[in-house]
Amino acid sequence: MEKLLELASMSADQVEIYAIKQKSDSVTFENAKLKDIDSSIQSGLSLRIIKDGKTGFAYTKNLHDREGLIRNAVDSLKGGVEGQLDFPYTKDIAEVDSYDSAIESLMNEKLYEECSRICEYLTGKTKGQINVNSEITTDDIRIINNQGTDIANKSSHYSLTPFVLYPGSYASIYRMFRRKKFEAVPNDFLDYILHTYNSSEKEVSLKSGKVKTLFLPETMYVLMWRLRFASNGKNIYVKESPLIDKIGDTIFDERVTIFDDPLNDNFPGARSFDDEGIPCRRLDVVRNGVLRNFYYDLFYAKKMNTQPTGHGFKSAMWGGETVSLKPTPSLQHLFIEPGNKSIGEIINSIDKGIIIPEAMGAHSGNIPNGDFSVGLSPGLYVENGEITGHIKDAMVTGNIYDLFNTVLEIEDTVHPSSGGTFPAILFDNVSVGTKTS
Amino acid sequence: MFEKLKTILARIDADYADIRYEIKKETAIVFNGNELTSIGSNSTDGYVIRVLRNGGLSSIAYTKETDTENAIRTVVENALLISKNKKVPTRFAKTGSVKDTFIPQLNEDPRSISMEEKLELTRKYNSIPLHKDKIATTNIGYSELIREKYFVSSEGSEIREELITPRVGGTITAKDGNILQNVRVGIGGSSGFAILRNVEEQFEKKTSIAIQLLKAKPVKAGAYDVIINPDLAGVFTHEAFGHFSEADLIEDSPSMREKMKLGAKLGNEILNIKDDPTLPDQLGHYKYDDEGVEARPTQLMKGGVLTGRLHSRRTAAAFDEPISGHCVAEDYRFAPIIRMGTIFIEPGDSSIDDLFQKLDDGLYLLDAKGGETSGENFTFGTQYGYVVKNGKIVEMIRDVNISGNLYQTLKNIVAIGNDLELCRPGMGGCGKGHQSNIRSCHGAPHILIKNVVCGGA
Repeated sequence: MEKLLELASMSADQVEIYAIKQKSDSVTFENAKLKDIDSSIQSGLSLRIIKDGKTGFAYTKNLHDREGLIRNAVDSLKGGVEGQLDFPYTKDIAEVDSYDSAIESLMNEKLYEECSRICEYLTGKTKGQINVNSEITTDDIRIINNQGTDIANKSSHYSLTPFVLYPGSYASIYRMFRRKKFEAVPNDFLDYILHTYNSSEKEVSLKSGKVKTLFLPETMYVLMWRLRFASNGKNIYVKESPLIDKIGDTIFDERVTIFDDPLNDNFPGARSFDDEGIPCRRLDVVRNGVLRNFYYDLFYAKKMNTQPTGHGFKSAMWGGETVSLKPTPSLQHLFIEPGNKSIGEIINSIDKGIIIPEAMGAHSGNIPNGDFSVGLSPGLYVENGEITGHIKDAMVTGNIYDLFNTVLEIEDTVHPSSGGTFPAILFDNVSVGTKTS
Repeated sequence: MFEKLKTILARIDADYADIRYEIKKETAIVFNGNELTSIGSNSTDGYVIRVLRNGGLSSIAYTKETDTENAIRTVVENALLISKNKKVPTRFAKTGSVKDTFIPQLNEDPRSISMEEKLELTRKYNSIPLHKDKIATTNIGYSELIREKYFVSSEGSEIREELITPRVGGTITAKDGNILQNVRVGIGGSSGFAILRNVEEQFEKKTSIAIQLLKAKPVKAGAYDVIINPDLAGVFTHEAFGHFSEADLIEDSPSMREKMKLGAKLGNEILNIKDDPTLPDQLGHYKYDDEGVEARPTQLMKGGVLTGRLHSRRTAAAFDEPISGHCVAEDYRFAPIIRMGTIFIEPGDSSIDDLFQKLDDGLYLLDAKGGETSGENFTFGTQYGYVVKNGKIVEMIRDVNISGNLYQTLKNIVAIGNDLELCRPGMGGCGKGHQSNIRSCHGAPHILIKNVVCGGA
């Protein structure tokens, strides 16, 4: 890397190299039986250069040819992509505890045994089909630039997700168990899944209309997707956000606080710097219902004449090869502050309503506007404070800027889920479409 | 390259093994509004090894040649761990060994077109919406993806194939006050760069739709009879039906296998569905899959009856059904999984006018905006639509997502148009597991479906 930095510096005013090594192992069970065990060992690097105010970018998986990589970056300068930015000199970064070395010696046999134990525990306690996915990954990232920055982060990640599936479908009740190292999944975690599935086993129907709706942590990403879009510095710059000029305005119910906290190392994936080497810090997007901040990478911060917030990450909506992605504003460690009611108390407070444990079509619809319209996969029906069954073929529709002003309750616990760590939230008057009108 | 791969395979102690080495060359040009935000060409590479030993099948993807020993040791250990703990051993359906090189014939090889020309073409298309009032921004780019694949198996197959996919497209965003509307636009294919030329009309049409949508009304949530256009019907076929024709998705779900038994009458008798990766020039075209099996057309439904399924070698043996050549990986980071090639509803005999007369009152919905399925239920977004009264279009509607039950919907397809169109998308791909397949092609004629749940406002 140092040699590459030295060579590239001869062709550019500024140089940044991002290198990553990743290792992963996964074990999956379907229908309570072992299905697959697969592994991956990946590495690669990206080179970003700035010359005469223009940016060049190149990447590779195998550094077969240093000169070739530099040539690709220099060639891309010719396109004239604006590069009015300065790579940072970052040192003395906060320490985050993101890695547990015990994960290196964890064998796939151990993952197999844990999945097997969970299948045994669930089997016989439910009629639903049991699937379990488990995965361990380690990421090793290093960023160097010609300002003198040389920082690295190693992280370990263990996840296990049990699912209980409804017949004839992949609709399920599930929950992700995520840690920095291997830990046995506690029984009460599994009992939550069992209880939720078993009490909703019966298929029921619901008329189209407006009902109380509980988004579980597993489906909160549907709503957060819209907020991420609207508070992204890039979308502020291109004027594709309804939140432009609304900093300081009350946009949500005052009990709602949504923030990004990369330094929180209670959960896996904590980071003290972003993929451009900018130090990470907590950033409130919404505090007590008031819109507080947009999030920026180096490029869009410069464009908007503001400071980068440490949110330049090499991420894309649909995954993708990390080294091939340029940093873009991204909330990687999103949290919603918990409320004060247990999930049981919240469900008990619903006279008539639905719970959404899994949604389909989050990527559809008018995301910039904050609109969502998702299929329930399934929806759980609640009457007089009890889950009495599940509904199929139904959709819920709304707009997050209306929805977050109809908050009834927020769960007192947060759960690591896709797209962040969230509590369940109960909303009032959500539009549900079904075949029965 | 084959000799090097054969040397690696020779070091693996297994009943069967294969190795795929790929070089992936990507060219990307991206505009956000008037600004060019990305341009460049890059090359990456990597290996995937699969091992079948004592009935245990496992895979490993790795980047560096120096990791080969470690990769072999890990994948063999994993295969043995599976073999020890799996009750039913994995078998592979038999297929002949193949020695072949397939380089597609292109109408203009994108590699022979200069970066300057690609940039100018993209800039030209991007400027079409930007010249119009009410267009807030665009995100339009050129993307060229070339997979050079080398596959060697312990059964003696040696296959080199190139998949070359140029695309141009993205999104156009219109804005009026606080209302934002975006539509997708673009074109792509496997037939060469020429397909991207002279498509200004598409960009003009989609720009106009984005602007019109600013004044369109949301639809009231509920159930409607709908006509869906070929793009949307193709997405329905792909999402709602196609995925459950992929044997690996239902393999370990006894309740879904029961419903998806060959011979089951699942659809209206007018419904015929096929997947055919051999159709030349289509986005879904390939000759060999990533198990080295020659792709073949598969009739999935005939007269509403389930007649076939998409298979890997493993699932073809497990289901005791014919092999189909549909096991495809995104790239060198992944082992192959079962994928559709070009899936489509075969044309029927109704003209568009017939369909509107039969619909009478309902909705006409056009173009897909993402779809997802969870087995018997599906949801997909539409880009725009119209309310239809007495067989006539009366007003535009926006933001309609539709949802339904696969089995009911297959029966509720009551009329099929005679105007089959296959997609040529300029962006996106089909996500399954962690992999995205950009060469997923689908199509259909216009179709009329009764009683579809639409989520509106």
